Amino acid sequence: MNLVEKILAKKSGRDFVRPGDVVVADVDALLLHDLSGYITARVFEREVKKDVRFPDRVVMVFDHHFSPPNEERARILEENRAFARKYGIHLLDCGSGNIHNAAVRNGFVRPGSIVVGSDSHTPVHGTMGCFACGLGNNSHAATVLPYGKAWFKVPETIKVNLTGKNKFGVFPRDVALWLTGQIGEGGAVYKALHFTGQFIKDLDIWNRWLFPLITIDVGGKCGFIDPDEKTLALARIISKKEFEPVYSDPDCEYETIWDYEISDLEPQVAASPTLGNVKPVSEFAGRSIQWAELGGHGGGRIEDFREAARILKGRKLAPGVKFNAVPSSREVFSQALQEGIVETMFDAGCTWFPPCTGSNQAINMGAMAETESMISTHARNFPGRNGSPKAIMYLGSASTVAASAIKGHVSDPREFLE
Amino acid sequence: MNAEGRCWKFGDNIPTDQIVRSDRVLLTIDEMAKYVLENLNPDFAKNVQSGDILVAGKHFGQSSGRAVAPKAIKATGVSVVIVEYAARLFYRNCFEIGLPLLECPGITEGVGSGDMLQVDVETGKILNLSNGKSFTAKPIDPFLMEMLKAGGLIAIAPKIAEGRSS
Ligand code: SF4
Repeated sequence: MNLVEKILAKKSGRDFVRPGDVVVADVDALLLHDLSGYITARVFEREVKKDVRFPDRVVMVFDHHFSPPNEERARILEENRAFARKYGIHLLDCGSGNIHNAAVRNGFVRPGSIVVGSDSHTPVHGTMGCFACGLGNNSHAATVLPYGKAWFKVPETIKVNLTGKNKFGVFPRDVALWLTGQIGEGGAVYKALHFTGQFIKDLDIWNRWLFPLITIDVGGKCGFIDPDEKTLALARIISKKEFEPVYSDPDCEYETIWDYEISDLEPQVAASPTLGNVKPVSEFAGRSIQWAELGGHGGGRIEDFREAARILKGRKLAPGVKFNAVPSSREVFSQALQEGIVETMFDAGCTWFPPCTGSNQAINMGAMAETESMISTHARNFPGRNGSPKAIMYLGSASTVAASAIKGHVSDPREFLE
Repeated sequence: MNAEGRCWKFGDNIPTDQIVRSDRVLLTIDEMAKYVLENLNPDFAKNVQSGDILVAGKHFGQSSGRAVAPKAIKATGVSVVIVEYAARLFYRNCFEIGLPLLECPGITEGVGSGDMLQVDVETGKILNLSNGKSFTAKPIDPFLMEMLKAGGLIAIAPKIAEGRSS
């Protein structure tokens, strides 16, 4: 069995499971954000009407809001706080960071466990050696909150084997964007993706993070990376509880194996309307942008700020460009402060925002008029997510974002990296 | 579980953000139903009738896993959704909220908006009464069929929690 099958077997009290089996398993962590949490709470209180069985396993993170922009939003947050108090679940209030980064940093994600959430990017926790999967609000309200369980169909697994070494000026995010295009939207519907190979092994945790993150965008159920010393080292620092890592058997079976060699890749950009519209940066170079942002589920990592600061140091943003710097957690901001990155980026003209999920759906920030475009490290570029459905979102590495912000149009970062 | 109704056909890769726009997710479900798929076909929510059938292409319901998307579709009166294939969270959510969903590769080529369709959810038999073509959808897992018959997950949750699984 592979890691996901072993976890599902163990947590459902079986010796083994096969793809296609439906199991009911114990859930170790439920991650809710301020919007999904609100919707889940409404279903739970109105239709389910039970108590929360394991409040200690539930955490709500206010990441779409860092400060409510109007009375309605303020009320929603207050209702969420009351819900958290009433049932004794954990709450990470405004300014805590983006749900997934905050959940890891606060010790809710441990190797070998089952992590579920309403957010569709929940599979990112496969990075930590978890079976992590997005569920709908009804699963959370009807089975996870009252019983600490959920139903799962055991997925078939595809081995995604990445080898080679990225060229100078090409970053793990470029590889992840490119891979999304290679697998294709809907290229792995319902599947589990086992990311492996020397390229993955050599990455540190927060760069590995970018791979299980794309699972949902190719239609997958979950993505995972077998734990190694790097995973366990991070888990030991952040986890307040014991954990038992699980590893795939060396001879486990796959539905298919996909091999990718990444040594020839150029920097990549994915332009609206979908992530599948990903091409080498040269194809989009010269398209004007008014906004740049480091933030979102995949961005706002310290790695992103380091990359950008290297390019922005001693330079200024192009006239008319606004640059949102959005740390993914409080720890990242504190680190950026210590390394002088906060000042470097501020001097270049960037604006620092509180830790949150950034422009995701333009709830607190990041709306655009139909004539505007943004380049960012976000996970999505669907039309209408940032204000006007005509506004364009380009996704790229932090270096591509920074280089484009200096030029005022989509640009290859390599000329700034010599 | 049989249905008969007019077909409303939509394209490929439609995300939940387009089924229910993000700025509408806090409305009541009945209010939301008035805006379902508004940017893709403004006539749909206005003219859809109870029992009508929604047909869409590949990877329907991708992006955010909000269950309000299938709930809003259900609230328009749509009786069955038939797609080439669905995004997995959307698939799961449909059964959990009691909206029948069939995956039927090739369906978008054999039906058009306005056609009258006859559907047997349990057997997956689909008949286009307007052109005589017939299709067979992928079978629904018995576990999900049971959920659908009960009206959704909430109704069978206590039983599931006792550990019953196939
Ligand atoms: S908008 Fe972003 S954070 Fe919110 S539910 Fe969708 S993917 Fe998750």
